[in-house]
Amino acid sequence: MALFGSLFCRLILGLVIAFLFMPILIVLTVSFSSSAVFAFPPPGFSLRWYASLGNADSMLQAVWLSTQIAALSTAISLVLGTLCAIAITRGMIPGAKAVATFMASPLMLPGLVLGIAFLQAARDFGLRDTYTTLLIAHVVITMPFIMRTVLASLSLFDFAMVDAARMLGRSYPAALWTVLVPNILPGFVSGGLFAFIASFDNYPVSIFLVDVRTKTLPIQLLNQVEMSPDPTVAAISALLILGTIVALIVCDRLVGLKRMASI
Amino acid sequence: MTLARDDLAVPPTPVSRWQFDAKALIAAPGLVFMALAFAVPVLMLVGDSFVDSQGLSLAGYRKVLGDPYYIGIIGNSLQLACITTAVCLAVGYPAAWALARIKGVWQVVLFALIFLPLTVSVVVKTFGLTIMMRRDGIINFLLVNLGFIERPMRLVFTEFSLYFGMVNVFLPFMILPLYSVMRMLDPRLMDASASLGAGPLHTFLRVTLPLTMPGVIAGGTLVFSISVAAYVTPGLLVGDRFMTMSQVMAKAYLNIRDFQLGASMAVIMLVISAALILASSYLVRSPGGEKH
Amino acid sequence: MSQHATATPPATETHQEPSYLAVSNVTKRFGAATVLDTLSLSVGRAEFVSLLGPSGCGKTTLLRLIAGLLAPDQGAIEVGGRDLTRVAAHKRNIGVVFQNYALFPHLTVAENIAYGLRAKGVPKAEQARKVENALGLVRMEAFADRAVTALSGGQQQRIAVARAVVVEPSLLLLDEPFSALDRKLRETMQIELRHILRNLGITSIFVTHDQDEALVMSDRIAVMNEGRIEHLGTPSEVYARPKSLYTMEFVGQSSRITGVVKGSSESLVEIDTPFGMIRAPGHFLTGSKVVVGVRPEAIAAGEGPAGEYNTVRGTVAEVIYFGSRTLLHFQTAQEGDRLHVELNRLPDTVEPGSAMTLRWRVDDSRVFPAPTEAAR
Ligand SMILES: Nc1ncnc2c1ncn2[C@@H]1O[C@H](COP(=O)(O)OP(=O)(O)O)[C@@H](O)[C@H]1O
Ligand SMILES: [Mg+2]
Repeated sequence: MALFGSLFCRLILGLVIAFLFMPILIVLTVSFSSSAVFAFPPPGFSLRWYASLGNADSMLQAVWLSTQIAALSTAISLVLGTLCAIAITRGMIPGAKAVATFMASPLMLPGLVLGIAFLQAARDFGLRDTYTTLLIAHVVITMPFIMRTVLASLSLFDFAMVDAARMLGRSYPAALWTVLVPNILPGFVSGGLFAFIASFDNYPVSIFLVDVRTKTLPIQLLNQVEMSPDPTVAAISALLILGTIVALIVCDRLVGLKRMASI
Repeated sequence: MTLARDDLAVPPTPVSRWQFDAKALIAAPGLVFMALAFAVPVLMLVGDSFVDSQGLSLAGYRKVLGDPYYIGIIGNSLQLACITTAVCLAVGYPAAWALARIKGVWQVVLFALIFLPLTVSVVVKTFGLTIMMRRDGIINFLLVNLGFIERPMRLVFTEFSLYFGMVNVFLPFMILPLYSVMRMLDPRLMDASASLGAGPLHTFLRVTLPLTMPGVIAGGTLVFSISVAAYVTPGLLVGDRFMTMSQVMAKAYLNIRDFQLGASMAVIMLVISAALILASSYLVRSPGGEKH
Repeated sequence: MSQHATATPPATETHQEPSYLAVSNVTKRFGAATVLDTLSLSVGRAEFVSLLGPSGCGKTTLLRLIAGLLAPDQGAIEVGGRDLTRVAAHKRNIGVVFQNYALFPHLTVAENIAYGLRAKGVPKAEQARKVENALGLVRMEAFADRAVTALSGGQQQRIAVARAVVVEPSLLLLDEPFSALDRKLRETMQIELRHILRNLGITSIFVTHDQDEALVMSDRIAVMNEGRIEHLGTPSEVYARPKSLYTMEFVGQSSRITGVVKGSSESLVEIDTPFGMIRAPGHFLTGSKVVVGVRPEAIAAGEGPAGEYNTVRGTVAEVIYFGSRTLLHFQTAQEGDRLHVELNRLPDTVEPGSAMTLRWRVDDSRVFPAPTEAAR
């Protein structure tokens, strides 16, 4: 009976994994199809959709914009979030627990609600520049990922090391940089990676903030899927998946996925 | 990519009473930024839902809560979230159990396989799903070749495709919190129950389920709160045939420009999310859902 | 590391030389709690001073104030005639060995030691030479390229010491450096560390809550209690002539008998106690309530010449055998009193209930005002 139960669970696990990968594999398959329609099974193999990416200007622009926004917002969150996390961990500010919850709370709000709030606020404050608005909103989106991982790393960090560095002649900022930063690097890498992905993939917040000429990749992709779905979209999606896998592997090499997953 | 809404890791500080320290200023940039860019806009949105062109008014709420159309839409969102959560739990529970019981390298590999789809863009996955749902797509291909149906049928823009897609996108959010709780369970507890003569069903209901309840609550809350607010997946898979609160909010701002309607809908969704989070933290703390 | 090579043997009982480290009237509060209360301390060049006191009495706080990791609410701190009160920690050139060493796990042993040299911009070649010297000093040459996380507790401690002294600090602070080591290792490390620091001639402040450690290692001991220094003196002064009942009881074993002053002659007082009249050196008003303290090993069995000795009779309550010596606890009549006697050789028939005559020199008795009821 127990054996049957465990076999049953394993079967479900196998099916679940197959199920989760289905749409991803389909996208990969279609991107190599020789046909412009999404027939299954595909009639033949070709790389023409990858070749055609070279002409997809608006798509490439969207990739570039999303990369910039994700990288900048992650970097800003890393700096602001880490400084804040240090103050929280060291009890330098009152109500540390509440502050930590506040900084991580954008993750708990529905994305669309956040997006609407940003849209309204940008209007009320007269903030017209799409790029700046997007960047500010994405710092808010990425902040919770940084807060969670960095707080977890800091809780394992011995702050006497910072004192030791100061007594050996480094100023407080230099001590943080030379001792704290290298020691919580795994937290930075995993938090940074997830923050980057969260920003790069964000749809529900960005949809309210983009304009005709400034579109992030998810918006541009969805437009294309709705308007004129063709395997070019599949090709760019396949490259995105590839990029994600490469990023995960690089991070694994840097700090070890085990260490990342445990943080 | 958060797995469970467990407590943030804030270690107890050695300080009994707070004293101002110039180093505390390092928190200022982040705090000020989040106050201005996050807290203020959200509070302003809540404020906006109570104002119209004439001034203070509840017209937005009256419109939403007094109109069967909008009530139906709120119902749709809740139904979508309930069914998605229930299916994710039914499928995710045994899968997480198997994942937690497998030893060694396989556990790492399988964990990575569950985790990896989370890092793939929702738009990309939903795009893949729409391809699958086509008349000449893989679902129909499988159904026909396995002899379930004679001729391909229309799947796009059906509720089947909606729930298929929702579960596909949100299932990992159920499995990972369940897994993190189940991994900590001592399998000998279940053996002990069996050796005391309890049947499998009894063992499950009396031992396994109560012990894994925190995972069920965490996963359930997470899946419910993100699926009640889902926008991309329902939009692409059923479109306007199945209107949800998210669709209404987006339309109110992007098309019909009825800001008060959008703001009221947003606040209602905010209240649903907040209620859910409070309820789940209450459940986790109360006996029967004890966390540790 | 030759900066202190000309160090003279440390000044002990008399210290006329100007103080090298001067902590003057320092007060530190955390919220409502006053952790250090107008505390002053002066330490001579190349001296090794221990801060001894129970956990929570403010030792670490004092150390952090000297280091500059905390700022005092009041008072001043000077080293070598230079006022450091407003100087940032990293500009004080003070070395610290932390309680759990605080080695940098992302650096090797050699890199840990070189850290301070790099911060000070010492040229690469000189860094390498100094690191090698420092490793030699703590006999860890073979470990230069190891990861610090792979070292044992004792080895980590040596590296922490090497890292702190390699930059030739003007002062070395050590916060309970042995607390993480087991007893055996602790004893060897105590002797070794003392040796290293004496050779370097470096002025050191050493925090401990272990009285034996303080007695073994220090030139002078500052006994701390609730944010104040109760007694600052050489180990033998602190042990044999404690200035307060607190010091007497915190450092070493002691007997204590409460009584009332009946009269005084010259520099002696006569005290009425349940054990009879006891004489002790001191000046107290007749009628004051006092406590007489005596070290257990100062007490001997049998009578002595009446002029020089106090003689009492007591009943043995407990016999505790240590091999080389035996500790006897006597029955006392008042709560809080103890009469403990340490004998190297035991009279033949001693067991609980035996009556014995005991004597100790009048000069070995110490008298303190009896603590008020509230303070007990
Ligand atoms: N940062 C701080 N905030 C509040 N109280 C503190 C802080 N540091 C120490 N204390 C308090 O000051 C007292 C002395 O602490 P400490 O100097 O660490 O004692 P010791 O090192 O002698 O054990 C203790 O009661 C401790 O609780
Ligand atoms: Mg201490």
